[in-house]
Amino acid sequence: MIENTVIKIGRWAIDIRNGVKDFSLFIKSIVTSFKSLRYIRFRSLYTIIINQTRFTGVDALSIVIIIALLLGATVIIQALTSLPKFGVEGFLGNLLVIIIARELGPLATTLIVIARSGSAIATEISVQKWSKEILAMELMGIDTKLFIVFPRIIASILSIMGLIIIFDVVAFIGGYLIALTVIYIPMDTFGQTLIDSFTFKDITAALAKSILFGIAVPLICCYYGFKPNSKFEIPIFVSKAVIRTLFVAIIVNIAISTIFYLI
Amino acid sequence: MLEELILEVKNVKYTRDGVTLLNNISFSLKKGEAMVIFGTEDSGISHLFDVIIRGDVSFEGDVLYKGSSIKELDYFSLMEYKEEIGYLHGDYGLISNLSVEQNISLPLEYHSSLSGAEIKNYVNKLIFDLNLDHCKKLRPFQLSRSEILKTAFARSIANEPDLLYLEHAFENQCYLNIITIFDILKKRIARKDKSLIIVTYRPENFIDIANRFIMFFNGRIVFEGSKDEFLYSQNPYLIQYKTNNPEGPMVIL
Repeated sequence: MIENTVIKIGRWAIDIRNGVKDFSLFIKSIVTSFKSLRYIRFRSLYTIIINQTRFTGVDALSIVIIIALLLGATVIIQALTSLPKFGVEGFLGNLLVIIIARELGPLATTLIVIARSGSAIATEISVQKWSKEILAMELMGIDTKLFIVFPRIIASILSIMGLIIIFDVVAFIGGYLIALTVIYIPMDTFGQTLIDSFTFKDITAALAKSILFGIAVPLICCYYGFKPNSKFEIPIFVSKAVIRTLFVAIIVNIAISTIFYLI
Repeated sequence: MLEELILEVKNVKYTRDGVTLLNNISFSLKKGEAMVIFGTEDSGISHLFDVIIRGDVSFEGDVLYKGSSIKELDYFSLMEYKEEIGYLHGDYGLISNLSVEQNISLPLEYHSSLSGAEIKNYVNKLIFDLNLDHCKKLRPFQLSRSEILKTAFARSIANEPDLLYLEHAFENQCYLNIITIFDILKKRIARKDKSLIIVTYRPENFIDIANRFIMFFNGRIVFEGSKDEFLYSQNPYLIQYKTNNPEGPMVIL
């Protein structure tokens, strides 16, 4: 029994080590492929960046706005009902900034992007690999690592950055409108409280998160997209792509919050 | 003369997982020459792709392209080498989210120094030559088999490659529907500076195009000759292949 458990843990550790090594090699190949940038015409990447930004950013706007409204409202309702009990209702703005701008906005936005675009990236690449589209590109002398991964990273950074800003703004406005149904707070007071609560650190932390999420989401999803060697492996690796990107996103979120607010 | 050669395969032995797939293969291709390589399913003709096109250098011997060994190519030179060779395989590999004209212009958009307008004009000419006008805005899933082949073919010649390598590209196609491709191939060969390799199970379909024929069996070359030799040789391997006879020097599983 104990022996079996030790063997299982050992195998698990070896799998993790091999996975990390393989992912490092993938990143190395991406970095190497960046050198091809000087050989290619940027116009061939431009269309992909535009299309990916439209799919990841613009097309996700409606769902981001709805979720931002709902989450913003939930936070405000909880704040309005709980803060007076502790006599700290004056800290409503601080609470909104802490919960929505610092944590909920970046994380919820990234989770939406992972669910929509991360899974789409992994599926698209796996299907392209299976139908030998990627092989065809390689045989045209196209650096597929650069051609496929690089535009998605750029599009993802731009989209996540934009969506986080929109999420925060909508959550604040939505929260304010919901709050109005319970208690009257003048608009200028509400706005001033929010502005006073924002610090430069909050903005840089949100920026760092959007850049790191923007790199991590397409990178991990592309990595798993390139993995399947047969058709039946496609759903297995797409599922892995989504779950592991979610996991990494939460870890990155904690790491950045720790670096910016704890250390 | 070495300078006339575009491709030289020298004593290539290619082994994978302990199995010898190509054994002591040597042949060369001159500029303006059209060669048909044929053989049975496990004869090794498909593994020439790994050695000549894919850039797998784990073989013994050497492959020279325009006099330079492909074993010495670095990461970027290998990309440039692939850019110079037009390749079309039987799976076609059209990019599914791009239209016919976007698929054809992809290698030009990526590599060429032509302007956007020049690429558009050039691609439109290719589309016209291959009778693809009616479907140039369609995506691959909306195309017929011959339209898919024509699009992939147009893409493979878009960069004006000096060597065109067609691997099982015409199998399962109605030859009447793709007659335009044969016309283009004949014109290319007539130019004397463009070479062609066709890997196929049906060499007799390319008698009007090719001037050399090579037959593989068991990873070795068992017949090599001109069009006349292909038609009239008494080589027992060739006769067995042409007559589809299970009896002969080749043991077919």
